[in-house]
Amino acid sequence: MIAIVDYGLGNVQAIANIYQRLNITVRRASTPAELAGADRFILPGVGAFDWAMTRLNDSGMREPLDAAVRAGQLVLGICVGMQMMGEGSDEGHLPGLGWVPGRVRRLTAPPGSVLPLPHMGWNDVSARPGGLFEKLEAPPRFYFLHSYYFEPTHQADVLATAEYPRPFAAAVQRDQVLGVQFHPEKSHGWGIQLLRNFAEAPC
Amino acid sequence: MLRPRIIPSLLIHNQGLVKTTAFAAPKYVGDPINAVRIFNDKEVDELSVFDIDATVTGRPPDYGLIQRLAAECRMPLCYGGGVTTEAQFGEIVSLGVEKVAVSAAAIADPGLVTRAAAMVGGQSVVVVLDVKRRQGGYEVFTHNGRTATGLDAVETARRMADAGAGELVINAIDQDGAMQGYDQTLVAAVRAAVTVPLTILGGCGSLAHMAGLFRDHGTIGAAAGSLFVFKGVYRAVLINYPARADRDALVAGARS
Amino acid sequence: MTGRPYQLCATCVMDTSDAAITFDAEGVCDHCRTFHRDIKPHWHTDARGRREFEEMAARIKASGKGKPHDCILGMSGGIDSSYLLYVATVELGLRPLVFHVDAGWNSQEAVNNIEKLVDKLGLDLYTEVINWEEMRDLQLAYFKSGVPHIDSPQDHAFFSTMYKFAEEHGIKYILTGANYSTECIRNPLQWMYFQSDSIQLRDIHRQFGTRPLTTFPTTSILRHKVYLQILKGITVVRPLNYVPYIKTEAVALLVEKFGWQPYPQKHFESRFTKFYEGYWLPARFGYDVRRVQFSSLIVTGQMTREEALTRLQTPPFDELTVAQEFAFVASKLGITIEELRGYFEMPKRTYKDFRSQEQIYALGAPIMRMLGLERGGKR
Repeated sequence: MIAIVDYGLGNVQAIANIYQRLNITVRRASTPAELAGADRFILPGVGAFDWAMTRLNDSGMREPLDAAVRAGQLVLGICVGMQMMGEGSDEGHLPGLGWVPGRVRRLTAPPGSVLPLPHMGWNDVSARPGGLFEKLEAPPRFYFLHSYYFEPTHQADVLATAEYPRPFAAAVQRDQVLGVQFHPEKSHGWGIQLLRNFAEAPC
Repeated sequence: MLRPRIIPSLLIHNQGLVKTTAFAAPKYVGDPINAVRIFNDKEVDELSVFDIDATVTGRPPDYGLIQRLAAECRMPLCYGGGVTTEAQFGEIVSLGVEKVAVSAAAIADPGLVTRAAAMVGGQSVVVVLDVKRRQGGYEVFTHNGRTATGLDAVETARRMADAGAGELVINAIDQDGAMQGYDQTLVAAVRAAVTVPLTILGGCGSLAHMAGLFRDHGTIGAAAGSLFVFKGVYRAVLINYPARADRDALVAGARS
Repeated sequence: MTGRPYQLCATCVMDTSDAAITFDAEGVCDHCRTFHRDIKPHWHTDARGRREFEEMAARIKASGKGKPHDCILGMSGGIDSSYLLYVATVELGLRPLVFHVDAGWNSQEAVNNIEKLVDKLGLDLYTEVINWEEMRDLQLAYFKSGVPHIDSPQDHAFFSTMYKFAEEHGIKYILTGANYSTECIRNPLQWMYFQSDSIQLRDIHRQFGTRPLTTFPTTSILRHKVYLQILKGITVVRPLNYVPYIKTEAVALLVEKFGWQPYPQKHFESRFTKFYEGYWLPARFGYDVRRVQFSSLIVTGQMTREEALTRLQTPPFDELTVAQEFAFVASKLGITIEELRGYFEMPKRTYKDFRSQEQIYALGAPIMRMLGLERGGKR
């Protein structure tokens, strides 16, 4: 069963609605007790990095989630949720969760050009086939809304890329920890399939 | 490649959807929730909903309505209307809304934009500028086009972008409901002045108008009210939106 | 529960869930007998039907000379009105104003189908949007009344706005998709009492509504059948009765020519009607409208009784869909799931528990039949 971490940020309802329509059991968890019994977790996130980290730390759910990651349970971070999984962000001062080695940096333009920020809208994603991105109607595209991106320390942890205008990590994976920069809960058929893939991934 | 966005823009008045002409004479369009449902099934890029009563009546945002809209809406949602404090940004975002729009309050105090961005991130802070053509330029208006601010639109756009807004919606009051095309001069002027994502609203009468906007300005948001809600000479209410193949063709001509 | 033993018609699939049903010595029900005796002999879809069809079209065209439209056509986006639009425009060369009533429950398919047809046929559309707050309150009033015919508000609004529009704009012909092919057997009054009865609607509203009906359009049977039709000369025409109308072929044509999107079941163009006919009516009252629809298709040779019986064995919705539609309807009406469940479980009432114009219908129906203005009819 999937637990969606509800620490007051991110579109928990939209994620839950998708799973309900797929007839896949989910639970919204706003306390450590509500996390118990789940075999995988979704960490959504919207907002500035420090604000999100503070709310997660204050929610009391940080520790059980750290334990779940150490125990090898599946976790999917979405947008700021994914950024929180790194060591820290140039957007703020607080340390991240440290589940995936890497830092969050601001998107920049190639020299001599101007890059409108935030990266806002539907963009194409290239992914390694299988796993989280399997069975997606090609070419897959998702909705992005962010000005910062996750830069994993190990290139092998990059699961998918998008271009704005240079390639950046649209998704990462390190062991059982996954993260997506885009919003699958707002990406129509592609997002629904990706969320289904997460639900059905072997433990 | 990042695609230009095609955005239905809905107005809520007395709990119901309406469409205005030059910001006046609201015509009843129906139940907002059913409109959202139909747009869901049409797999719309993103949706904007503005409550046009809240600011003029001095009321705060209607959280009950926002929650119902957010619960139904399967695409990214921008909500505006009655937003005056950064705490409200936080409240609305936590209800499941991706972006929050503000107009009068930000024009009066650009610091609101900065404070809101610190909390919810700049990507979720949208400033809407309603503008009318004036001698030599465009003037910003608030309160459903009734209050003239005396401020220049392009200059205000710059100020809002500098304050940390993640997106600017430029709404041409003169073109509202006319379906005769976007105001090209206005778009060019604002586009040249700021680098944040822009969305243009007011006057769109056909997909060809949007294609023209993309051809001239590349990745830009094309918003429309009347186009996606009315059909034909009798302005018959009928929710519509281009299918994916038509959309892809529309954005294919976008200048990179 | 009448204590009457269960009986299923020998030729169609109507049964004793219709409490007024009668059977003859061979076990054939009165619906079938009425069809064979009263409808079939007068129903021509061959050369004679074609001739009547063309004569009717000529009259309509004459009445519309010099005007932007010669008739109005009520359009829901469903198969009947969609096919009708095609027949009227392409085969008869009429110039209809397409008239749509938005009661707040349009499915995406309905809206898409109206758009595709109107665009490709180059027609004008007029939409009447019913005030949602009034509609919602009236629908809730019907739930609170406990009666089966809770879809009356939508149907009533549809007819009254269309007649009003025709009258106001001097249009003499209203085209409807009503047809014998798929509707020769009608829902029993016990299941769906006359939606046009405004006395019933007003009484239910008076007892259970919470806000006045200011913009909601009402009509009355006397007004639209007698005054408008007989005195003001507004004629209701049912073109689909003059041509062979085979549902599967009609769907195929519309899909191929227009990109029309089919519905899983009849009347599913409205999310509310889908819920009402697919779940509420069968689960709460034991009235399965598919019996009526399939029986029409059986007597007109479009479906076998075996196929109908097989399909009737599974409910229209699986449990997951029921839960989703239940939640959707509750949310749309602005009530909790518990409140909606409460209406589902409350004691059942009938149309006889409220004021009605039933007597007028009882008097008028034989007259209409005698005048040849109607055949069969509801009972």
